Amino acid sequence: MIRAFASGMWIHVVQFSRNPFDLTGVVIWPIVYASIAYYLLDSKDNPRLLLAASLGASVMLMWSLVVIGSSNALENQRWLGTLELLVAAPVPFAAVIAPITVASGVVGGYALVATLAWGTLLFDVPLVIVHPLAFALAVPCCVLAIGMLGLVMASTFVLYRAAFSLGIALQYPVWIATGLLVPLSVLPTFVGRIGWFLGPYWGYRAIREAALGPSPWPAIGMCLVVSATYLVVGTACLRAFVHVARSRGTLKLT
Amino acid sequence: MNALRVFAVGGVTSYRALFNWIDPWIFVPQTLGYPIFEILFFAYLGRFASVQSDRFFLVGNAFMAIAITGFFGMGQAIGGERRSQTLATLLASPANRLALFLGRAVPSMLTGVVVAATAFTVCSFVLRVHFATHELLGLAAAAAVSSFACTSFGLCLGSLGLRGRSVSLFADTVGGSMLLISGANVPLERLPGFVRAVGSGLPLTHGIQAGRILGAGGSFGAAGHLLAREALVGCCYLLLGVAMLRVLEYEGRRSATLETF
Repeated sequence: MIRAFASGMWIHVVQFSRNPFDLTGVVIWPIVYASIAYYLLDSKDNPRLLLAASLGASVMLMWSLVVIGSSNALENQRWLGTLELLVAAPVPFAAVIAPITVASGVVGGYALVATLAWGTLLFDVPLVIVHPLAFALAVPCCVLAIGMLGLVMASTFVLYRAAFSLGIALQYPVWIATGLLVPLSVLPTFVGRIGWFLGPYWGYRAIREAALGPSPWPAIGMCLVVSATYLVVGTACLRAFVHVARSRGTLKLT
Repeated sequence: MNALRVFAVGGVTSYRALFNWIDPWIFVPQTLGYPIFEILFFAYLGRFASVQSDRFFLVGNAFMAIAITGFFGMGQAIGGERRSQTLATLLASPANRLALFLGRAVPSMLTGVVVAATAFTVCSFVLRVHFATHELLGLAAAAAVSSFACTSFGLCLGSLGLRGRSVSLFADTVGGSMLLISGANVPLERLPGFVRAVGSGLPLTHGIQAGRILGAGGSFGAAGHLLAREALVGCCYLLLGVAMLRVLEYEGRRSATLETF
């Protein structure tokens, strides 16, 4: 299982990093969002706010990559005719899908680097990390939390042929509910409550508090808790939905 | 006459095929959800930043929703054929290329306009922004001109699909950049001079400015020059797009890349 997960993740990270054209998109999107935030928030004259915006834009892209990557991965398997083979393999299906979703989040690491460099070089955003060690731990925890939420989403995509479009539609709602660029304080109260159940909410808080303080540890802990929960829920959902798809004979439908 | 038939029959058939692939009850909320949440996202970001009003972001992002369908409609019309491995077969036919691909793109664009209008209406209620009838008419006129300009630009993007594989991603990236460059979410005076210069050569920038003037009760006299510029930008891209369709189809045949996937 561990070997399947590790090798699967490595293959997908390499695969996602193969096309320079794809990577250009990965880098440009968070830069666009961060730039919009810089130009809008510039009037507040608060460098910490701009750094938080950089981090928020990076996590936004991580989520996009995970949700689109996981839906696109399944759709690609359908088109290539390999989804049935993967389902029939003796390795649990979750161990095949989870590496894809986590690898998408890892590729989002490029976005983090690019956005921080962009902000520092062009907008004089100070790159001062209050807790460097915690930051180094918070980033993979954030990737894991977002990737595992992707696993839960991917399980529903097994049933749904137009999964890619659904993945795209899920970007903004999660960005809003997790307060990545727009603070939850300006949104209706119930929106923040939804965020508690979402990996990007805790991942972003872990990274932000590691960079800006005061304490990132509770959020890092929550990342691990929600990741474990998503793994259990995602595995159960995958099993159930694969069973339904097999009994309906819809796995191969493109 | 034959080109008109190809345009109409091809368009209707491909649109019907879309609903064979995706259930309308999923398609409708999904296509509506994206622009609605996009408008709300930027409106709340603007509120937090205390920059501009909800009306500013509402108009800017509603126009963006139209633009995206213009960019993607054409891109998908060609890219979809490549993905389905039918592009080479399609190009072997003697049909008029513009009619062929525009026929596939126009229904999607019309859907996009309806979606943008619905998202605009929903978000107007959520954000409590109200428009008078003459303001709405002005906005509709500006949106129509912008839609033409974006479709023309989409023709250029789509024609790249005759030569390359990742056109959807490219259109997606260009569309994303327009969130910033077109002034949809950042007042143009806040952007650096070179970004403004790039934006003035792209569709949507002048259309959004015109829409904001007309949506604020301004006259067509005040926004006329902006609408004229938007239309001129659209005409230039239309000519460029038609030329690119010819050149890149030839290049695709010459280098045998029409079936690469």
